[in-house]
Amino acid sequence: MHLSLFSLFSLLSASTLATAASAARHLTITIPPSTILPNPNVLPANTHATLTTFTKNTNDDHHFTAPLSRSATFNFHHLPASSQPESYLLDIRSPEYVFAPLRVDVAADGSVLGIWETFRGNPWDNRGAEKFVFDASAPRGGNSGAEEAVMVEAKVLARRGFYEERSKFSPLALFKNPMILMALVALGFTFGMPKLMENMDPEMRAEFEKQSRSSPIGGATRSAMAGGGAPGNFDLAGWMAGATPRPGASGAEAATEGAAATTGREGGGASRRRG
Amino acid sequence: MWLQATLLLLASCVPSSLAIYRDEVNHVDYHHALLGFPTSQSTFFLKPSASSNASLLYTLSEKSLLGAVNPRDGSLVWRQNLSRSDVPAAESNPHGLLRASEGTNALVSALGDYISSWTALDGKLIWENWFEGEVLADLELLELEDASAAPSTKDTVALWSGKAGVVRRLDGDSGRTKWEHLDESGDIPLQLSSSATEVFYVALQPSSRKGYRIKVTSLDPLTGRQTRQHILSSESDLSSTNSVLFVGANTAAPMIVWADQSTKTLKVNVIGTKQVHSFDIENTSGESVSSITVHAPKKLESLPHFLVHYETESTTWAEVYHVDLKSASVTKAYELPRLQGWSVFSTSNKDANVYFTRITQSETTVVSSVSHGVLGRWVHQAPPMEQALHSVSEVVAKDKSVAVRTAAALESGDWQLIRNGQTEWTRYEALSGALAATWVQEAVQEDLAHQLEVEGHESLYGAYVHRVKRHARDLQHLPGWLKGLPKRILTSILTDEVSNLDSFGIVKSVIVATENGRVYALDAAKHGAVSWKVKAAEADSWNVKAILAHPGTATVYVDDGSSVTLDTSSGEILARTPGTAKIRSVAVAHDGTAPRTVGIKDNGTPLESIDGPGFFITLSDDGRVLGWAARDNKHPVWQFLPTSGEKIIHATARPSHDPVASIGKVLGNRSVLYKYLNPNLALITAVGESSATFYLLDAISGKILHSSTHQGVDPTKPISSVVSENWFAYSFWADAVDPSSAKGYQLVISELYESPVPNDRGPLDAASNYSSISDLPLPHVISQAFIIPEPISHMAVTQTRQGITTRQLLCTLPSSNAIIGIPRPVLDPRRPVGRDPTSTEAEEGLFKYNPFLEFDGKWYHTHSRDVAGIKSVLSAPTLLESTSLIFAFGGDIFATRATPSQAFDVLGKGFSKLQLVLTIVALTAGVIVLAPMVKRKQINMIWKST
Repeated sequence: MHLSLFSLFSLLSASTLATAASAARHLTITIPPSTILPNPNVLPANTHATLTTFTKNTNDDHHFTAPLSRSATFNFHHLPASSQPESYLLDIRSPEYVFAPLRVDVAADGSVLGIWETFRGNPWDNRGAEKFVFDASAPRGGNSGAEEAVMVEAKVLARRGFYEERSKFSPLALFKNPMILMALVALGFTFGMPKLMENMDPEMRAEFEKQSRSSPIGGATRSAMAGGGAPGNFDLAGWMAGATPRPGASGAEAATEGAAATTGREGGGASRRRG
Repeated sequence: MWLQATLLLLASCVPSSLAIYRDEVNHVDYHHALLGFPTSQSTFFLKPSASSNASLLYTLSEKSLLGAVNPRDGSLVWRQNLSRSDVPAAESNPHGLLRASEGTNALVSALGDYISSWTALDGKLIWENWFEGEVLADLELLELEDASAAPSTKDTVALWSGKAGVVRRLDGDSGRTKWEHLDESGDIPLQLSSSATEVFYVALQPSSRKGYRIKVTSLDPLTGRQTRQHILSSESDLSSTNSVLFVGANTAAPMIVWADQSTKTLKVNVIGTKQVHSFDIENTSGESVSSITVHAPKKLESLPHFLVHYETESTTWAEVYHVDLKSASVTKAYELPRLQGWSVFSTSNKDANVYFTRITQSETTVVSSVSHGVLGRWVHQAPPMEQALHSVSEVVAKDKSVAVRTAAALESGDWQLIRNGQTEWTRYEALSGALAATWVQEAVQEDLAHQLEVEGHESLYGAYVHRVKRHARDLQHLPGWLKGLPKRILTSILTDEVSNLDSFGIVKSVIVATENGRVYALDAAKHGAVSWKVKAAEADSWNVKAILAHPGTATVYVDDGSSVTLDTSSGEILARTPGTAKIRSVAVAHDGTAPRTVGIKDNGTPLESIDGPGFFITLSDDGRVLGWAARDNKHPVWQFLPTSGEKIIHATARPSHDPVASIGKVLGNRSVLYKYLNPNLALITAVGESSATFYLLDAISGKILHSSTHQGVDPTKPISSVVSENWFAYSFWADAVDPSSAKGYQLVISELYESPVPNDRGPLDAASNYSSISDLPLPHVISQAFIIPEPISHMAVTQTRQGITTRQLLCTLPSSNAIIGIPRPVLDPRRPVGRDPTSTEAEEGLFKYNPFLEFDGKWYHTHSRDVAGIKSVLSAPTLLESTSLIFAFGGDIFATRATPSQAFDVLGKGFSKLQLVLTIVALTAGVIVLAPMVKRKQINMIWKST
């Protein structure tokens, strides 16, 4: 139904064309600069456009090719006349850039009837945006004799990436690794905490120690902080049970206290000077 | 369950892409971008732009390819295929014409009825035109001092010979006809010549008795009107249209040269005058002159001097003539010595000076056209140069010395650039006519296999002694191995390739047979450089049907039934068998140890019968498919005819090496769909007027297992098909047959299963054997079709050693000059249609079906290379399961390695040995530094705590 209507339309237009002096048998496709392809002149010489449809008899091949011109256009001269209107698929073949396909309807005398966007894998009658439609009623420019050319713009859809990117070794990427970051934080604690403790106010430290002694986790941290080398006498079961460390077992604590006593003297000196 | 999930998670982490890395280009692949043999009249050096001094080498080859080659390294700058003429090649001028003018950045080429102009720098179209029913006979660029025309473009005058001779002047920018001159006298159009003020049209007028007279018509270049005409009486000398030796194209060489029939006198006419100058040909050798060639400068401003090159069977010499344009007289200036053997001459200009370059087997000499003094002489390096057929050269004169570079087209079909006697590069253009190719089989492995066989056949004690002896013998390689060890370790750390893979069959040489009767060996380790070439055919050309490789040797089978066996390491011809009968193909039967070959006649009958099991399928020239048992070559077991109106165009079978790793496909719910694995599948393609039918046959019984017909198929567009494992694929152009159907190229994939129900083997259930002849069960076929953006002209499948690696469907794309490998998981016909996959389907790796299959850039094996004219793609397994070799030939030559599931058994370039070593060193240093510190601390702690 759809097809028959369409062919009727094209027959009509063909008959009007016979009276019109000039028919647009010349099709030019231009490539406008786009964000994907800013300079269409960089396209290699093997880029070309093809018009394809079903070939009815073998000596009249319905497959046309237009090479890329120096102004980055494709020109189809003299679209051939055939016994009936044809509907062509227009593709632009470029190894690196993907172009949108177009549907080109050509009348029996070879003049262009209309150009639409088309969608691959969809019914052929499912046409997209209209690019050009032959208007038989439109006044012609005085039949100047010069063959009118139909100009349409091609749309670049994407650029193909042929290559795999190789992951490069960089120290920055190393620091993005959470394991490395965790290790660094742990390292910072191990070396930084005792220093921090040393520079603390004596009162504050006393308070901190009191607090950490009251909380079991603080105790564990403290014992770890105090040397890290004494996990042997860390009472895991007791800690899990929430018990305070037995005084006899906390040799490490004594050592810490001794160290605190020495540093406390220095700290005291500093506060004296301040006072 | 958990393990499965973990594995899946792992699998999803591995990047699914399989593209080539940028740093692997030229390492895993090589490419010969070829043009074909350059023609003598359409090859030249030219400076494409006026601003730059660098010139390019242009040619229009015998393959109708127009291309520009960088003379520095022989690389291809651009190329265009000009075979777009409507006139069949036999009728038109087979070699086409190519003309250019310096500094205009434009070339004009003609082939048949097609004339086109291209930019010289990058090969883009300026204009093109067809003149139906006419064939281009000659083409010149008008070198007019025309004030009105822009200096950057030059108009073309061209001569057509069709029903009548037509001279047309075409605009240099648009290709529009400015004027035309019609000659309807019936004379044979010969050539055009132009001067600054006139265009001369030279035609041959058949005389009433015998021979031809030369008719010269001069035309006004601005209007095309005929100004005058005269006829030279040459009918006694010219017996055929090919007898005129030379017609000069411009004012530098405005003459017509011919010789009398006995080649005793040379006749020269300055175009535009009626006088004919005669010169005696001084032939003292006693042999008759076999050819006379005239070489004249092609540039307008050069001196009107020309060189006549005489050849006899064994000697060559040349004479240089000067033309005085004012008095229109021709004088002989000097002679170049008569030398034994071949020589080729070429002319070149520097401003007005003309130089003649002579290349012989042993040396290159340059003389000026003014005097016979030799300006430069270079002795060629040994071995003596192969015979050249023609050459072009470029001379640079500096003070008194000259430098010359010459591109010589050799008899073997190669193109060689010689600069000052040194060979700079060779382009193996003969490879563009590759007919068959195969990978070399190493002979070394064979030796070890033989040794092991000996051990297997001896007694226990004898075998033991043999093995000890063999190992003791191997010890002699130990010192050398030890000596090379440090170097090997060092280089393995520093070089790109992590491990040397040569021993895994990754780097395999290829043997290629070309249509000009030569066999080439391409060394894969040196980017496909030619390691040897040999003329294996006794005639000038041959039609090779197959090459089979055996350890250390390769046998080439020709269509006349003869064969040639060559040594694959040296190219030495080991054996020849004479031709028996004309064959259309060669069948290979693998029975036991050595493969046996059987020629198939045009009517599909095997030439001979083979004892033992085996069968083949043949196509006959009357469009039937025949099935044969190997032991009977008289009566086919079965024959297959398509329905009336259909014609068989292609038949394909599973590759001879097609291992199947798993007999079933595990589904997401842990059930198994059993594959229909029949080793004797054949896929037949038959086309009607607007339909295509694909028949899947069992090759033993000829039974049709499956067939599918597609309507609206265009049989003139590429149709390709392939079968492997339990699936087959094909591609075609289909038009919209009803309003809901799509238009475009389609790719159909079908998989064969034993039954539609998982965990069910159908009628074969518990059977350990099955028979093709009695009640063979039919497969359950699942298919899916995709619309693809481009035609596929050839299909192949990647092959690996065990078939565990995912396969890729290798498709040759003729319109974008590429070869792609579509991964099989993408082409899974069980992809869910119209809905998202369920979790079990997702676990299988299935994703939603999309009717349009866009080719991903990562699938391009040829990446950014322009691999044109490919007719056949071969694939071969290597010892590494992950890797498959690919070799493509027919036009260009392209080879690469494919790793469809990534290189899982090789450490890639991404694995940095240096980084590993540095990490270990850093860790060791850290341990050495930290160990005493920790120790001290621990001791301190023990002492201080108590």
